[in-house]
Amino acid sequence: MRDALRRVSLGYLVLAATAVAYLVVYTSRLGRFPTSFDYLSILNTTLPLVFVAIGQSLVVLTGGIDLSVGGVVSLCVAVTAATASIPWIFAVLALGTACGALNGLVVAYGRIAPILTTLATLSIFSGLALRVLPAPGGSIPYPVRQVLTNPAAPTGLIWLGLAVAGWLVLRRTRFGMRVYAVGSDESSARAVGVPAAAVKLKVYALSGLCGALAAVFYVSTTTAGDANAGTPFILTSIASVVVGGVAFSGGRGSALGAVAGAVALTLVIDILFFAGIDPLYQSLFQGLFLVVAVLLGTVFVRRRRLS
Amino acid sequence: MNLPRHPGRAARAAVAVVAATLLLIVAACSDAGSPASTGDAKAGKIKIALSNSFIGNQWRVEMENVYKAACAMPPYVDEVECSVFNAGNDVSTQSRQISNLISQGVDAIVINAASTSGLNGVVQQACDRGIVVVSFDNTVDNKCGLTVNTDQIKFGQQLAQFIVDELGGQGNVVMVTGVAGTGADNDRNKGAKDVFAANPGIKVVATYTGMWDSATAQRNTSAQLPNLPKVDGVWVSGGTDGVIKAFAAANRPMPVVGGEAENGFRKFMAGLLTPKVKGMSIGQPPFLSVISLELARAVVKGEHPKESITIPFPVATSDNMVPGETVFPDLPDSFFADFTDSGPNAILVLCQEAATDGTPCPGKTLDVKLPS
Repeated sequence: MRDALRRVSLGYLVLAATAVAYLVVYTSRLGRFPTSFDYLSILNTTLPLVFVAIGQSLVVLTGGIDLSVGGVVSLCVAVTAATASIPWIFAVLALGTACGALNGLVVAYGRIAPILTTLATLSIFSGLALRVLPAPGGSIPYPVRQVLTNPAAPTGLIWLGLAVAGWLVLRRTRFGMRVYAVGSDESSARAVGVPAAAVKLKVYALSGLCGALAAVFYVSTTTAGDANAGTPFILTSIASVVVGGVAFSGGRGSALGAVAGAVALTLVIDILFFAGIDPLYQSLFQGLFLVVAVLLGTVFVRRRRLS
Repeated sequence: MNLPRHPGRAARAAVAVVAATLLLIVAACSDAGSPASTGDAKAGKIKIALSNSFIGNQWRVEMENVYKAACAMPPYVDEVECSVFNAGNDVSTQSRQISNLISQGVDAIVINAASTSGLNGVVQQACDRGIVVVSFDNTVDNKCGLTVNTDQIKFGQQLAQFIVDELGGQGNVVMVTGVAGTGADNDRNKGAKDVFAANPGIKVVATYTGMWDSATAQRNTSAQLPNLPKVDGVWVSGGTDGVIKAFAAANRPMPVVGGEAENGFRKFMAGLLTPKVKGMSIGQPPFLSVISLELARAVVKGEHPKESITIPFPVATSDNMVPGETVFPDLPDSFFADFTDSGPNAILVLCQEAATDGTPCPGKTLDVKLPS
C-alpha cells in the first residue's frame, strides 16, 4: 500500500483530497449531495483550463514556459466569437497552432529564452485580440454548444476523455519520448541524435493548439467572447502544472497530472465558497493551497529519490 | 534520460479518474434533486447574493460597502438575507460562484460581471431555474437577466459637450481613456469622439489610457505632457485627480476638465485644493448595487415588473459644489464622491460611514425610489 501510494503522482493525490473536501463541505452546508447540475457545471467551466494546462505541461516538460497562452486564448476567443461559424472553428485551431509555432521558432531557432519570447508574443496576441473584438460580444453556433459543452448532458466528458487519450498515445510515440529527453538533459539528447530544436518547435505549436481548443470551449460555455478572456489562464495554467507535479526543471511529470491539477484548482474555488470563507481572504487561501501543494510535491520527490 | 518508468501506471490512474467521475455523474443523475428549491423562501427572508468580480479599487469597495450598509438597514435587514462574493477578474471563478449560488437556492443574484459576455451561459441556467438576475455597472449581456445601469455613451457625450461649450468650439483636447476591451470604456470613448468629431474647431491632440486609476493616469499624463502643444481641455474616463496633479506638477496652465466623480477632482473644482479647476464631474454611482438590491427584492416580491432600469448620472459642476453633499473635505482624494445621490429628486440618500465602513446609517430607514 505504502509503495503504491508513493508511486501515484502528486496531482492525483491533491485532486482526491480536494474532491473529498468538496463533498464534505458541500453536503455539510446544503444537507445533500451535489447534483448532476453541480458536476456538469464544474466539468464545463474546467474544460478550457484543462486544455491550456495540457499545453503548458508539454512546454514545461521540455524545460520551457509559455506565458503567451493568455494571448493565444484571448485571440482565439475573439476570432471564434466574432466569426461564429463552424468552418471558422477549424481556422481558429490552425491560428492557435500558428501562434504557438511562432513561439517555437523564436525559442528553438532564435535561441531566445522562453520566458522572454512568450512574454513578448503575449502582448502581440493580446493586442490582436483587442483589434478583432474591441468590446465583449459575439456568439457561437447553437449546435457547437450542444456538442462541446451541453449544459444538460455530460458531452464534456467525451472531450476530456479524448484529451487524456491523446496524451497517453502521444507520450508513447517517438516524439513523446524525445520531449522527456530534451527536458531531462538537452545536450545529451542532442548528442544521441535527438533533434531538440524540432521537438521544441512542435511542443510550442501543440501548446498553441491547446490554447485554441481551450478558446473554442470557453466561447462554447460562455456563449460569447471577450478579448481579455485569456489573461487568467496564464497563472492558472502554471498553477495547474505545479500542483500536477510537473517539474519546472523539465523532463519529469505528466500532462495528466496537470489535468488533475486544473480540476483541483477549480474545486478549491467551490470549497472556499461553501466553507463560507470571507471573500476578501479567498485569494489568500488559494495561494496557501498552492504553497502547500508545492511543498508536498517537493517532499514527495525527495522521498522518491531516497527510496 | 528520465523516461516514464511505469508506462501502465498513468494509464491506470487516468482510467480510475475518468471512471470515478462517471460514477459520480451516474450517482448524481439518479438522485435527480432540483438544485433551486425555493419553496419555503417566500415565507421567511428572501435570499439575495451579490456576486462581484474585482475588488481591488476604491469604487468597488464603496459599491460593496453601501450594499452591506443597505442590507443592515430597514427594510432590508428584516426582509432580505444578503451575502457577498468576490471572484477577481476571472470569469471561470465567477461562473463557479454563480453555479454554487444556484445550487444553494438563492432567490436573486446581483452581479457586477468580470466580463459582460462571459457569464451568459451560467446566467441562462439561473434564469431557467426562476432565479431573478440583476446585473449592474459591468452588466451581463444575456437578455434573460435585468440590468441597472447608466448610459455610458451619454457619459462620454455629456462631458465632451461641456468641454466644447466651455471652449467655444475651439481648442486642443486630450482624451484619457479607461481599461481597453471593456464595454464601458468603448461606449464612453465612442460618445466623446462623436461629439469632438462634430466640432471641427476641436482638435484631439492625444489619446492615451489612464486605466481608470489616478496613479496610472498621473504617470501617463506626466509622460505625455512634454510632447503636447497647449492643452485647452481634458476629457477623462477615470483617474481625473491624477491628470490634474500631473498638469499642476508640470506647471502647465490648467485646462477645462471633464471627468469622473473622484473626491480629489471635486476638491480641485470646489477650490479646496489649488489650483481651482473649472470642470464637470459625472460619476458611475457606487449605489448602483443598492438600486439593484431593491430591484431584485421588488421583483422577487412581485412589487415591480421584470424590467431593466437606466438611471441618470449624478452631475456636479464647479459652480455648484456643496461640502458634505457633492464634495467631502475629510475623505481621501481617491474616494468616489457620488456614493449618495443628492438634490430634491434623489433616488436614495446614504451617509458617509455607509460608504467608508459598510455600516448602517444610524436610525434611518432606507428609501430607494426606483426610477420608472
